[in-house]
Amino acid sequence: MRTLIKIAWRNVMRNKRRTVLSALVISVGLSIYILMNSIMAGMDRANIDNLIELSTSSIKISTEQYAEDKESLPLKYGIPFADQLLAYIKEQQHVIGATPRTQFLGQLSNWEDTMPIIGQVVDIKSDETVFSLDNYLVGNYFTGSEENEIMLGKDLADEMGVGVDDYITLYALTRYDSRNADEFHIVGLLNTTDPNINLNTVLISYDTADNFLDLENLITEIDVALERRVSFSQFTNDVDELAQSIKKEFSELRVETFTELASAFLGITEQKKIFGSIMMLIILAIAAVGIFNSVLMSVYERIREIGVLRAQGFERKEIVGLFIWEGIFIGILGSLIGVALGCGFNLYLVIQGFPLDKFVGFQNSGIPYWGTLYGEWNVGAIIFAFCFGMIVALAASYLPSRMASKMEVTKALRFV
Amino acid sequence: MPLLELQGVIKNYMKGEQIIPALRGVDLSIEKGDFLSIVGPSGSGKSTLLNIIGCIDTPTKGKVLHNGEDLTILTDKEKTYYRKENISFIFQSFNLIPVLTVRENVELPLIIEKKFTKSEIYDKVTNIIEIVGLEDMADRFPRELSGGQEQRVAIARALVKNPLVVLADEPTANLDSEMSEDIISVMQKMNEEIHTTFIFSTHDLLVQKHAKRVIILRDGMITSDERKNHENTD
Repeated sequence: MRTLIKIAWRNVMRNKRRTVLSALVISVGLSIYILMNSIMAGMDRANIDNLIELSTSSIKISTEQYAEDKESLPLKYGIPFADQLLAYIKEQQHVIGATPRTQFLGQLSNWEDTMPIIGQVVDIKSDETVFSLDNYLVGNYFTGSEENEIMLGKDLADEMGVGVDDYITLYALTRYDSRNADEFHIVGLLNTTDPNINLNTVLISYDTADNFLDLENLITEIDVALERRVSFSQFTNDVDELAQSIKKEFSELRVETFTELASAFLGITEQKKIFGSIMMLIILAIAAVGIFNSVLMSVYERIREIGVLRAQGFERKEIVGLFIWEGIFIGILGSLIGVALGCGFNLYLVIQGFPLDKFVGFQNSGIPYWGTLYGEWNVGAIIFAFCFGMIVALAASYLPSRMASKMEVTKALRFV
Repeated sequence: MPLLELQGVIKNYMKGEQIIPALRGVDLSIEKGDFLSIVGPSGSGKSTLLNIIGCIDTPTKGKVLHNGEDLTILTDKEKTYYRKENISFIFQSFNLIPVLTVRENVELPLIIEKKFTKSEIYDKVTNIIEIVGLEDMADRFPRELSGGQEQRVAIARALVKNPLVVLADEPTANLDSEMSEDIISVMQKMNEEIHTTFIFSTHDLLVQKHAKRVIILRDGMITSDERKNHENTD
């Protein structure tokens, strides 16, 4: 075995240019895979962060009736004992915040155009403990000093031709289904990484909503934020455990985690992973052709040598082993370079990020994300890429090796 | 009992639909310690005969017996094992493994045999390298050697496992006369000292001059089998 490895290694080193070229084919394939995986994971993570920090929160609690009818955002089904529930949640482990929200449907008018909107009634004291809107704020947050303050998504404001400190009219049905309209002072705009919020969301405070919607402290949803963990699966475990505990304590309420609320999105993420795997296969198939070609050339160059070895008593399987080892060395070299290149590029992506919006410029592209995209480290994907590179190298070198071993000794010795 | 016995060996090659006869019924007995030269014009079947004796080619008809056992019916694996145990080859173009040093090239047959310890292999290789006079070249690669030195390595490689038979196909064809003389004397020395059987296929008169037995092959048939009864070492 040692002799086989020695011969194979020295042959690989003898044909340095060919070895490097074959290894580069694999390494380019693997580095692209690692980078693609990182970008996709980064995109997923950013999208999930967006969802949690801007819309779903970690856990959303409502009544069963509200959950069944939530498409119409009815102002009917308030959570009973909301204060008691909030107090209970805040005592739980890993919880960093909980806040009530009440959503409603309405229309916004600048006296020329009217736009449908989704309204969010927020508690200005606790909302920031769950949602990170302040990071995306243009202008001010609610001051609470005057009535009828409103915040709009920036794209919505642009569509309506209004800005901070302008006034705008909001129409909505009150809790008792009577139509109401009032003029609101725009204190701030939301320029978030979620195009849906930017385009169709308005925020008002509970104090304002008490008058405007006859809300009388009706709370339809409670949103909970948990501390983020480095490990995403650990975070989802924390979320699931807390959700179970709330369900147990308040069995009449609907408790939904972000994974349940974003199931459609997470389903797309799974599909993307399958797509990524197919891409990986295509890239590595190209790499396999490179190795196949390299080992085949090596076989043709050394047909006489194969004849000599066979004449001396080398068995067929030892000839196969000889060339497979060459494939393995090329595979190791290619995989190492590939992993090093992939990790190098990824390091830049993780630290510096990629300004997605500058390249794509698609706030309205339908993809629920824009801004700077950061890469993610995925050790599993890196190990997988390395192993897969090796397996591809092994498989690609097997066929020419077998061909070499099947060669008739006399023909091999006569080969010029 | 002869060491090797060929009985009615016929070998035909196919060239498209055409049958090309290479050997047309060869009967031959080879004794242990023979220093035998097969001569004849190109295409007379010398190499084919050598390949059949060495079990790297199979006759179309006839038997090749070793100690009474027919080698032609062995499987590929059995033939490989037979070659590993009993046969060594020396080729016209040396055919050393270019990525191995002189020592490693010579070690190779012993490593394949898997019978010897590391120190046994080292001792045997050192001894044979000394016999062929390449002790100063042991760590050099084939590309650093002259043609004569390369053929000495090939001889050392052939002899290191102490085979029953050494088959040498035109071993001096690529060497000048001085080197040829040198190489033949090395092989002759091995033949005399350890009674290794040598079978040459050659055009070289020098080899024929040193051979103890000369077989002339013409059109695939033995036309002459002459055993010399004097030792000729010049």
